[in-house]
Amino acid sequence: MSETILQLQGIYKNFGSVEAAKNISINVSKELFALLGPSGSGKTTMLRIIAGLETPDKGRVLINGRDVTNLPPYKRGIGMVFQDFLLFPHKTVKENIVFPLKMQGKDESTKEEQYQWVSQLVHLEGLDERFPYQLSGGQKQRVALARGLVSRPSVLLLDEPLANLDRELRKEMEIEIRRFQLELGIPFIYVTHNQEEALTMSDRMAIMRLGQLEQIGDKFELYHHPQTSFVASFLGSTNAMQGEIKAVDNGCIVVDWDGVSLRAPYKDDFKIGMTVDYFLKSEKITIHPPGQKPDDHGRTVIEGRLRDTIFKGQYADYLISLKNDNEIIVSDVPTISPALRNATVSISWPSEAPDVFPADGGLA
Amino acid sequence: MLFFFVLPLLTTVVISFWRTESYTIIHDWNIDNYVVLLTKHTYLVFLGRSILMATAVTLISLIYSWPIAYFIAYAGGRYKLVLVLLTSAPFFTGIILRVTALQQIFGPIGIINTALINLGLKPINAFMYSNFASGMGLVYLWIPFMILAIYLSLLNFNFDLLEVAKVNGASPIKAFFEVTLPLNWIGTAVGIVLVFVPTLAASITPRFLGGVNGALFGNILAHQFGATGTWALGSAMGVVLFFVSIIAIFLVWKTVDLRRSGFTGGDI
Repeated sequence: MSETILQLQGIYKNFGSVEAAKNISINVSKELFALLGPSGSGKTTMLRIIAGLETPDKGRVLINGRDVTNLPPYKRGIGMVFQDFLLFPHKTVKENIVFPLKMQGKDESTKEEQYQWVSQLVHLEGLDERFPYQLSGGQKQRVALARGLVSRPSVLLLDEPLANLDRELRKEMEIEIRRFQLELGIPFIYVTHNQEEALTMSDRMAIMRLGQLEQIGDKFELYHHPQTSFVASFLGSTNAMQGEIKAVDNGCIVVDWDGVSLRAPYKDDFKIGMTVDYFLKSEKITIHPPGQKPDDHGRTVIEGRLRDTIFKGQYADYLISLKNDNEIIVSDVPTISPALRNATVSISWPSEAPDVFPADGGLA
Repeated sequence: MLFFFVLPLLTTVVISFWRTESYTIIHDWNIDNYVVLLTKHTYLVFLGRSILMATAVTLISLIYSWPIAYFIAYAGGRYKLVLVLLTSAPFFTGIILRVTALQQIFGPIGIINTALINLGLKPINAFMYSNFASGMGLVYLWIPFMILAIYLSLLNFNFDLLEVAKVNGASPIKAFFEVTLPLNWIGTAVGIVLVFVPTLAASITPRFLGGVNGALFGNILAHQFGATGTWALGSAMGVVLFFVSIIAIFLVWKTVDLRRSGFTGGDI
């Protein structure tokens, strides 16, 4: 990994009795870094602390090795793209974009030069004299990005930048934002509650919950090897089950989930009789057509009733009712005809597919 | 609308082109009243004084109203409306009582001067019966309109925009002039008109608080309909006042650029 640009060291922040940040340490290099979490998780507070809109109670913020914890926002060399764009409605596109330069007292030629550079980068040519109300959602987004980038910051912060765009536009902007990041070679720190967005766009991500960092790392790592119950249940489409460890067998544990046996790899802290949370991403399950019974060697195999099929094109969600009255969602290639409603089918998954953690609560 | 608004105005205009003799109106068309008003030094002085007074009162109200309206809109929480309505306190009692109350404070034996005398200091005479006192009285009287106009404008203001300004290096003062004021200029302009126009015509407040040398155009105007009984001249003065007000409104309206106001709801 390349050099670290932004460092957060042991950040604490309380609002009254609410702990918005609790010992947060993050290093970000020249990458697209997503801060993901449900609302109230403290991700926006972290962004505001980096921006200088909030001061941490404890801890330091370093940009390029320089301690900026007590510097005002504009002296930190950061750019920021706000939720809802927050363009100045009474200023033209050009005036909006050069606003940071104007406030920092830059001369006309610098303003013009930087403006030309950034408006070409984000493809805003010819819109100089428009007012925000005359722009489409995508154009507003580009203006907001240009305003964040115009002073050539060393870090760009983005607060839910795509939350108010429709699906098509969001996809387009996701690709564009990645392109800007690669072209500029500066860290983009991206706050979102939308995991799909975070997974699409980021290189690495951090998942926050109740002011604490749950896990930080490569997005593949987080998705396939979550380290906490919360991360396991939060990312992807996950079936959450709970049961008691009944046996340890051949490097595997057998979990009794309301009368259904589930297999998972053994871990050191597991003991017989322990209650565990068992998380299984729905695309890791295979559905077998009626009459076919898979080999149960190294796999969990369960029979159930195909209650409904939700066809999505590239794949389908199968709702399987089990004999213990629970339901499992399976995402698989759509090979089974929706006409087979209520047929008895088998589903199976490899023993290493689930993520299992001791159940000590902690599920939001 | 036509009956209550246009008709009285038309009557005033018509009378202003007649003349009065020995307390009776004579239907004799002429422009003498206007010639007198525009050539006689005295009337122009009073008009100039009134315009100065209205300008000063408007400016003082503007400077006072902004922080009050801003505070209520920003930090008023669920008491916003109550707080802003309470600023109309000057209207809770009649105008005479209100003016008398100001006399009790600023007058020669008012609270302030009594306190000064009791402390062994010299009383301040400038407070009472002067243009200063009239001005204070007028600010006190009309400021609720200004506060209300700015407050209503601020209700639709997105305070988050100030955070954008802050991140990008704007000091609070710069942010105010770059963002807050332009985006609330229409409301402020309405406030300016609502204070300027009635102050221009003020007669009761300056009469009670202004003293011997504090008479304004409004006092002289009122005089024409009282002691001197020169209704035609008084009407002409009214018409002059009307036009000065129209000019003031026009000037304020010229400062409003809809596209620069953030207002996107069409024409206003």
